[in-house]
Amino acid sequence: MHGEYKMPGGKLVVIDLTVRDGRLAGVQLSGDFFLEPDSALDTINRALEGQSEHADEAALAASVRDALAADVMMYGLSPEAVAVAVRRALHREPAA
Amino acid sequence: MMRTDWRDHDWQLIHTAPQSPTLHMALDDVLTHEVGAGRRAPTLRIWEWAAPAVVIGRFQSLRNEVDGEAARRHGIEVVRRVSGGGAMFIEPGNTITYSIYAPQSLVKGLSFQEAYAFFDAWVLEALGELGIKAWYQPLNDITSEGGKIAGAAQVHRGGAVLHHVTMAYDIDAAKMLDVLRIGREKLSDKGTVSAAKRVDPLRSQTGLPREAVIERMIATFRRLHGLNDGSLRADELVQAEALALTKFSSPTWIGDVA
Repeated sequence: MHGEYKMPGGKLVVIDLTVRDGRLAGVQLSGDFFLEPDSALDTINRALEGQSEHADEAALAASVRDALAADVMMYGLSPEAVAVAVRRALHREPAA
Repeated sequence: MMRTDWRDHDWQLIHTAPQSPTLHMALDDVLTHEVGAGRRAPTLRIWEWAAPAVVIGRFQSLRNEVDGEAARRHGIEVVRRVSGGGAMFIEPGNTITYSIYAPQSLVKGLSFQEAYAFFDAWVLEALGELGIKAWYQPLNDITSEGGKIAGAAQVHRGGAVLHHVTMAYDIDAAKMLDVLRIGREKLSDKGTVSAAKRVDPLRSQTGLPREAVIERMIATFRRLHGLNDGSLRADELVQAEALALTKFSSPTWIGDVA
């Protein structure tokens, strides 16, 4: 499943994932945003892995924010924008 | 750490013969590190391309951004750079690309938005001298009345910041759209649905050869900030060539975000 969100005043935030037993799996964040250190990408992917497919935007954003160290720099990206992209991916009809 | 000014530094120019896309990726890595470690003076590097390439950003999905089959058909190499930002479609002679390797002190206390504009103020001045009214469009674009001219990206390493920019001199829009997958969501707040129309290259706006535009840019940097003609050290080149082979050519790195 695939979701995209162009953060207003920010960059394109893309999520690819699958759902297994009601939980997010194989989550991959991508896009043309800026994020340092670059290892924070994996941190965000891991924070989303295993979340309930029914988690709302606020809960998803909180789990991303809580996983990130204080010195992580985001430009054109935010935990909230990641959460929107996840919800958009989940709202798509799964491929038959 | 005190904030420094451009003139506090002994700026060096590197402008060499054309180099491969992977070597360019590696040189950015190595030279940022050298400036951060204090072994190299702050440097402006103008790139010359030996081959066509698609350069994707650090966090872009390879399969979402690039039509691999089309890239192969056109003989275009796909590489991933160390900085975030969007994909660039490069053909030798069609772009003007430069890197600035600076100590972090130069942008100390500036927001990201201010730092991007700060690093390219000299380019806006040079474009003005060429008759192009251009301005910075946050987060990371240089644009004009005709459309986008350039995109910038930054990455911070140790004590240094890399700011690199690709400007469109000329563009084969049909080929670009064949190779890059540019989604509708990305264009949703750009006020146009035509990706080709988003870019208005320097060739049509200046009527000047690419080399003349580069000469003007170098002259403007030199006048505003000071600039000495420099060169790559042999050990820097050896290091970059090794990295180009081991890291930047590897499928692991290029496909790091699949």
